[in-house]
Amino acid sequence: MPRVAGVDIPNEKPAWIALRYIHGIGPKIAKDICEKLGIEPSLRAKDLTEDQLSQIASLLTNDYIIEGNLRRQTQQNIARLRDIASYRGLRHRRGLPVRGQRTKTNARGRKGPRKTVAGKKSVKEMR
Amino acid sequence: MARSTKKGPYVDERLYGKVMKAKDSNDRAPIKTWARSCTIVPEFIGHAFLVHNGKIFNSVVVNEEMVGHKLGEFSPTRMFRGHSGGKR
Repeated sequence: MPRVAGVDIPNEKPAWIALRYIHGIGPKIAKDICEKLGIEPSLRAKDLTEDQLSQIASLLTNDYIIEGNLRRQTQQNIARLRDIASYRGLRHRRGLPVRGQRTKTNARGRKGPRKTVAGKKSVKEMR
Repeated sequence: MARSTKKGPYVDERLYGKVMKAKDSNDRAPIKTWARSCTIVPEFIGHAFLVHNGKIFNSVVVNEEMVGHKLGEFSPTRMFRGHSGGKR
């Protein structure tokens, strides 16, 4: 299996799909890469030549922020919001939705699994 | 949706004027304001504001990281005091 950008080992999928297994590479960038390097997008990742792989690797390191660097950048952006105590930062601290979504119901992705509270109306009704 | 770049950031003009005046006269007193939707511009750095949240004025000292945000972002309008019962 080919190795691109350190730890990433995309599999037997077409090149422009396999590249999306790298954190920070989506459909758009994957397509751009194939176009820039003249790689047939439907070419299977295992059939990429060493030369093409090194070309991809150098393009990724030079032109794009991916993997660890991208994760760090995201964390820094969030840390900045927290530090200046903006509303968005406060929501991040609390682990609640940041962009004004409702929290009466839903928001489970941010709040985590439901914590049932005894004596609450909905709990009483169940009995 | 984001604001049109043609217009530039929204800055409350009266507030902007007050800040510039305070800067000229080296007045460090915080400015009381209701202009929560006013964008923080670089000229505001270092100045103190008292931003209304609907009830009280929260003090906000602007630093360079806050540029581009709105004054209201730093003056929360809701206060969560915890649910009834809580922890014993």
